[in-house]
Amino acid sequence: MDLFLIGSLFFLFGGIAVIFIGENYKSKIYIVFSAVANILALPAVFNTLISGESYIWSYIFSFPIGKVNFVLDPLSAFFALIILIGSFLASCYSAGYMKMYIGKNAQLSAYHFFLGLMSTSMIFVVVVQDAILFLISWELMSIASFFLVTFENEKIEVRKAGIYYFTSMQIGVAFLIAGFAWISSLSGSLDFNSFNEVFIKYNHLSIFFFLLFFIGFGTKAGFIPMHTWLPRAHPAAPTSISALMSGVMIKTGIYGILRIILLMDIIPASLAYFVLLIGLITGIVGIANAISQHDFKKLLAYSSIENIGIIGIAIGLGMIGKAYGNDLVAGFGFLGVLLHTFNHFTFKSALFYGAGVVYSQTHTRNIDLLGGLAKHLPKTSIMFLFATVAISGFPLLNGFVGEFFIYSGLAKSFSIQNIGVSILAILGISGLAFIGSMAMITFTKLFGLTFLGMSRSEFHTVPEEKNNFMLFPMSILVVFMFLVGLSPITIIYLLLKVLPMFSPHFTLSGYIDLLSLINSITISLAIFLLFIVVIYNLRKLLISKRSIKKFKTWDCGYQGVTSKMQYTSGSYAHPFMQLISKLVPIEINVEKESALFPKEASLKSSSLDVSEGLIIQPIISALRKFMDLFSWIQSGRMQQYIIYGLIFLLVLLIWILGVEL
Amino acid sequence: MIKIILTLAVLSLAPMFVGVINKVKAIWAGRHAASIFQPYYDLLKLFRKGEVISTTTSFVFEIAPSINLAAVIFALLFTPFPYIGAVLKFDSDFVIFAYSLGLAKFFLVIASLDTGSSFEGMGANREVTFSTIVETAFFVLLGTLAFITNQTSFEQMFIMLNSSANYTLLIKLLFVVSLFIMLLAEGSRVPIDDPNTHLELTMIHEVMLLDYSGVNLAFMVFASQIKMLVIALLISNFLIPLNLPITLALLLCLVSIFLIYLCVGLVESLIARTRISHVPQFLFLMTALALTSFAIVAFFTHGGIK
Repeated sequence: MDLFLIGSLFFLFGGIAVIFIGENYKSKIYIVFSAVANILALPAVFNTLISGESYIWSYIFSFPIGKVNFVLDPLSAFFALIILIGSFLASCYSAGYMKMYIGKNAQLSAYHFFLGLMSTSMIFVVVVQDAILFLISWELMSIASFFLVTFENEKIEVRKAGIYYFTSMQIGVAFLIAGFAWISSLSGSLDFNSFNEVFIKYNHLSIFFFLLFFIGFGTKAGFIPMHTWLPRAHPAAPTSISALMSGVMIKTGIYGILRIILLMDIIPASLAYFVLLIGLITGIVGIANAISQHDFKKLLAYSSIENIGIIGIAIGLGMIGKAYGNDLVAGFGFLGVLLHTFNHFTFKSALFYGAGVVYSQTHTRNIDLLGGLAKHLPKTSIMFLFATVAISGFPLLNGFVGEFFIYSGLAKSFSIQNIGVSILAILGISGLAFIGSMAMITFTKLFGLTFLGMSRSEFHTVPEEKNNFMLFPMSILVVFMFLVGLSPITIIYLLLKVLPMFSPHFTLSGYIDLLSLINSITISLAIFLLFIVVIYNLRKLLISKRSIKKFKTWDCGYQGVTSKMQYTSGSYAHPFMQLISKLVPIEINVEKESALFPKEASLKSSSLDVSEGLIIQPIISALRKFMDLFSWIQSGRMQQYIIYGLIFLLVLLIWILGVEL
Repeated sequence: MIKIILTLAVLSLAPMFVGVINKVKAIWAGRHAASIFQPYYDLLKLFRKGEVISTTTSFVFEIAPSINLAAVIFALLFTPFPYIGAVLKFDSDFVIFAYSLGLAKFFLVIASLDTGSSFEGMGANREVTFSTIVETAFFVLLGTLAFITNQTSFEQMFIMLNSSANYTLLIKLLFVVSLFIMLLAEGSRVPIDDPNTHLELTMIHEVMLLDYSGVNLAFMVFASQIKMLVIALLISNFLIPLNLPITLALLLCLVSIFLIYLCVGLVESLIARTRISHVPQFLFLMTALALTSFAIVAFFTHGGIK
């Protein structure tokens, strides 16, 4: 067995090993295992990414599975890279974050076991090229993450969120099973490679195949309207798990969609339009909901939906390129997909890790109770700031690079000279800009109200950064953000063997000189960095001889300023939410007693997810109505159930006899 | 080399054009006008002063003006001069142009939230709200420009636009008007914002700078002056006809920018400022114009939708 597969199993080994270790050392031992897993598995990953050679391991299992191919091709390797690094960072973070559960009778063994199982199954998802084993890995990944989400299962809202998440995953996998069953019944084999022929032979059906897979994988990724589990599961899960789920796990959905696109030879233009539009809607609705959230983990969950939307736009763009035979557009589209997938992994994980530091110190997720944390948590706040700048897509950090290529590809798709494509391209360009400007509202709010200003409530203990295990993963991610942001070639170099899988002629010196484009970006950004340094030092020089006075914030002469007078999460978002009140209505409940003297009053505002109310709720209620018709079957009496069993057996007997006769 | 000289010229002329606006307003109102060089004196005065920094603030407050100014100057490097082109140019450089202006705004906004003042929070949320409309419309314009010209670099876009077919006259008009609205919005001028108001409750841009003083305030003010000139320079690219001697073109560019600022001054003299709640409606005009220009281009390029 190869080192790569052993390495990926090491996460699971670690999870099993720590069961037998004392509570205080579980996390630290697990870090060792995940580090070993990385050391064993990364060489193969890098080798595949750089040389472009695929590793194939074939094993023959007993009856239901049969011969299975594990294939590490460049696409798998790229996702495996994210999973490996992401899992390692999550294990480091756990060592700090889970400390607060030590000695509180929490199920830390189960936590580490399922963390290991999740990491291993995620790697298997991206390397298994066999329908049955793929579905098994996929389900193991969902089950492991379900148990991790419900770690704090003594809380009712956590249990509710967990069951909601699990149900969503089962609905998603039902579509995958349907898709795989249909396609493998046509191909006569469970091997992914045989599916390619089905897509060519049954070309007229390929839209239906794709839609089944898109719904199935899209549920995991979080495309609207299958996104409803994200804003529930992320706040419920421990932060280390939210980061792993949002940064890494939802990308397996993207991997699935990309794999299906690879297997499809011909892409109908209508599908490309569909994916681009779904991506656009996902991005806009996702970020519009994020703006109005008060719970920062829910905000980050909605922002994950937004970023999946951006990736969706890029996938749609790549598919348009393929559908119209324009390699350049396809190349830029899929380059955007892969870059944004990696970038989102870095900044979203960092944001969740930062949020976890805040939560572990303040024990609240409500932005309205926070503020002024930059003074208490200086390192966290500066890394959090980098992550917010990156996720808003501004230059110098990596978020910009991914969006740059998507914009560029969209602008290039005008050359296809098709009215449909042109309209979609302008929708995509302006939609991305709209998403970007809404992201600015979201993240100025998140960073500005959480870390800046004055604290909106009193903390029992002064927040402080005492745990380097929690800061280490963030700092690694910030390094990635700057590395990719300032010199995109570092990551694009690893993608050079992945991209030709989608767009055969896309190389560094293909249609346009990609290398010189990337170099110009790097040089420009270096100039920008130089400007900042020069101007900052100019100021230092200018004020060096002047007096710097410290005084309280100017409030027009009013002296009784309190922290309650600051803008809150609701009021900061209010002007914009008014503009989009049709898209995201805000519900405000005021409880006020009218009496002569003021009494205690309360105000609660919450936003409604319209996409959920419009699409998901009607389906659920219709389904429930239909299922109610059969509710009489469930009487709760054992005797009746035994009768059902007997009737079933009888019918079966008659049928078999009938067939034989 | 000439590009760098021109860039430096833009940097040094930025305050003067604001002086032009003030001059126009004063003359229109029948007041005795301050010199058009007054903004330089103001900046110089600020550069020589010490600072008062709020005790509420953190590191963000101190670094934000430097990043703001750097980002705006960086955006200037991508703005093409008529006939001569931009200092930095590459494929799809319009994205980096728009996003570095966005970065400037990002730091302006979080710096204002850093003071913990409710006035500044108010300015901040207005700024980000209005910029969603402006930015989206701006990208529709940029996309349309890429569509007409089949180019993705700013410089090439303008070269192609100025040398292509006749119907672009209408497009140019739409572009100029919608970019002019953007100039008013980004420059925080009437009718979106009033730079001369003395009531914090009605301010947008000014209120975000309330707590700044000395060098940092000078940086912020200078950055917003440059930002205005950058957009004016973009507009002037649409106004310069083709096939002129280069010196005449540059002179014409200067004159057109002067006229744009004159228009800003006239707008400020003639139009009252809109109610804050009605500002989005005014800004949607820019979106409408941008979409119209796209529709026209799509119609002509594809010979009508059959």
